[in-house]
Amino acid sequence: MTGGLRFDEQQRKAVIQCSRCGFCRAVCPIFDVSKRALSNARGKMILLREVLDGKLPVSEGVAQALMRCTTCMNCTVNCPSGVEPQEVIKAARKEMVGMGYDNLFKAMGEVVEKYGNIYGEDERYDWGHKKGKAPCVLFVGCVGTYREEESMAETIGLLDLLGVDFTMVDEVCCSGVLEDVGYRVKEELARHNIKEIRKTGATELITTCPYCYRVFVEHPSYRDLGLQVKHITQFLKDFDFRVKTERKVTYHDPCDLGRHAGIYEEPREIIRKISPNFVEPERTRENAMCCGSGGGFRGTFPRDSLKIARNRLDRIIEETGAEILLTECPSCLHNFRNAKLRRQKIEIYNITEFIAQLYREGASPEKEAA
Amino acid sequence: MDIEGYEFPEGLYYEKNHFWARVEDDLVVMGMNDYAQKMAGDIVYVGLPPEGKKLTQGKSFTKLESGKWLGKIFAVVSGELVEVNEELEEDAKLINEDPYGKGWMFKIRPDNVNELKNLMTDLGEIREWLKGEIAEHGTK
Repeated sequence: MTGGLRFDEQQRKAVIQCSRCGFCRAVCPIFDVSKRALSNARGKMILLREVLDGKLPVSEGVAQALMRCTTCMNCTVNCPSGVEPQEVIKAARKEMVGMGYDNLFKAMGEVVEKYGNIYGEDERYDWGHKKGKAPCVLFVGCVGTYREEESMAETIGLLDLLGVDFTMVDEVCCSGVLEDVGYRVKEELARHNIKEIRKTGATELITTCPYCYRVFVEHPSYRDLGLQVKHITQFLKDFDFRVKTERKVTYHDPCDLGRHAGIYEEPREIIRKISPNFVEPERTRENAMCCGSGGGFRGTFPRDSLKIARNRLDRIIEETGAEILLTECPSCLHNFRNAKLRRQKIEIYNITEFIAQLYREGASPEKEAA
Repeated sequence: MDIEGYEFPEGLYYEKNHFWARVEDDLVVMGMNDYAQKMAGDIVYVGLPPEGKKLTQGKSFTKLESGKWLGKIFAVVSGELVEVNEELEEDAKLINEDPYGKGWMFKIRPDNVNELKNLMTDLGEIREWLKGEIAEHGTK
């Protein structure tokens, strides 16, 4: 009896495979602030097991519980039984939607189709950069375009300063987030992006957003892209930056860039070039705690999402004493900036944004030494 | 005063970006009106700029967010930002719960208090304007 869920054999095995040890509790960003058993992977695996065994009916409550996950993958990294809870949860969300338990992302999907972005914004911010033929395309994504446009202006400015020959395109949402929340990538949007990107004649696609990066690399809808996809930290890691800062700098690994895409070293290579005072948070790399914005969580539970970001930020400040927090993800950046309290003096930037500012301030190694 | 189902207290000044103002000693206090807070939904973030920031009447100077919606906050008068409601940092829903009271946002030292004359105080005028807003943006 499957209690209404049509989990395949592999998914059912994953649920049964959970030994209920609870090692995922301490690394779950939602459990960390709520301390509620159902908020972490263990609780959700028990819930799904009971649904699969027919002991609990599928209900709106089950659907809601499954939405409380940022898909940060920290549970997977720490699971001794080899379960990948975020994949089970994503599959369950799709099943629930298929059974009629729609969530707010149904409306968001309609918004994405109508406006080409997740926010339903009419006007797209235009940085005035060229659009046409170039060896590289820069793809900004929704959060960078509509929520962190000033930060993106700095990133674009840095690429110009470094002499990168790149173009921007009339991009629309990659729509990958819909896959995480029970729905599907919008094929029409994917085709639009592929067409716009390919007509530039570029051979490299640079993304500022780690999630867009993953969608372009992993999702079948983008298999015809035909370009080498690089996250901007991969693209810039071998550049020489003629700026430095003496201020204490730390780095937050975005879940989509680190645990999901395995890109840990490139951001650090860049930071080490510009900062001799680089210090890691205690929970870092594959153990980095989530900022709370992923997996549709910021959209569904914005208040709790900010609580998680505030929790992560508090600990980073306490552990590192850093003056500057760097990351390279528009969503993490936005959530941290929203979460930061006025009394907290730490400054928060994307790496590329920060380097652009150092250039503008003329912070060369020679000048700082003088 | 109830206007079209929204609370618009008498004695306040209202501007057309949906912010209100009132005079408190030599300062102007501002916040968001009831229609706008209801349309915005559950507000989770308000940008609180540093005190001392120079503001220009009718120009946006910071942002607020509710879930997927982002709005700009416009200065009701020109002047210097002298105080922000720090309670909004951790409890932005005060704007939803009490938009004209505990949900106040900023206090401004006005360059010229006569700029308030550019704002609406006449309830008939406010009603007509709000009807137009509802026709354009709907209700919640």
